[in-house]
Amino acid sequence: MKELSLNILDVAENSVKAGATLTQILLTEQDGKLKLEIVDDGCGMSEDIVRSVTDPFYTTRTTRKVGMGIPLLKLACEQTGGSLTISSVTQEENPVEHGTHVTATFDMNHIDFTPLGDVSASVLTLIQGHPDTDFLFRHQQGERIVELDTRQLREVLEDVPLNSYDVMEWIGGYLREQYETQPEDSGPNGED
Amino acid sequence: MLVKELLGHGFKPVTLPDGDRVIDGVYIGDLLSWVMGRAQMDNAWITIMNNVNVIAVASLADTSCVILAEGVELPEDIAKTAEEKEINVLTSSQPIYETAVLLAGLIS
Repeated sequence: MKELSLNILDVAENSVKAGATLTQILLTEQDGKLKLEIVDDGCGMSEDIVRSVTDPFYTTRTTRKVGMGIPLLKLACEQTGGSLTISSVTQEENPVEHGTHVTATFDMNHIDFTPLGDVSASVLTLIQGHPDTDFLFRHQQGERIVELDTRQLREVLEDVPLNSYDVMEWIGGYLREQYETQPEDSGPNGED
Repeated sequence: MLVKELLGHGFKPVTLPDGDRVIDGVYIGDLLSWVMGRAQMDNAWITIMNNVNVIAVASLADTSCVILAEGVELPEDIAKTAEEKEINVLTSSQPIYETAVLLAGLIS
């Protein structure tokens, strides 16, 4: 994909489909490396399925033969010299703590690094499409931390749906403000 | 023009499970998600990418063949997958542009 944010959207949708009540999207940028984690408390996958999801001919969808979200994410990180790992615990294995943890690492200074793109837009799209499940978004760039937890919003909003126009507008502004008010770290990825 | 008719014109077969497929147009691209949404059915697809996802995208987009340009080779295990999924893969030692020009002359 032209931007990692689209890939994140695709993979996070899998978490929602797996029945997650909370999906975490965690981005950590440090010393030219990016770690992307998508963590959910969904139904989890058996070892066999975990092995096969990186195979582009595997899919949980019935409408087409191949599912490309994870294979393309794997390609995107590996072409920078990074790697993708998936660990998962099924509901049968552990009825209390189950879910899937996808970790992808990237070398952001590699020429084939796919730009991150507009992650805020991906988060907004997820909330809009799934207002009844929770998302925790955390983007750490050196000292700068941008965070959104829909569980906190839900407490304040009570019965107002998260995907109502005003709430979406507010979330968009809240994320933008966090990016704008905290200076970007001037590391190896600082603007030069 | 049929895929098998490319042989002997500077194109070498890697896998040819369905050589009788008709080539209708050409698509060129390496960003797989982009190709997935844009390559048309029966296009010959020219690329330099040679991982397993290429085979999946060719299957999804239903292209008539994949042409690996610039002398790029297909790893053996991926050739096996291509054979299983009935994807035609050929190679060209020429750069992408020259490969496309050669192809244009043949299919017009």
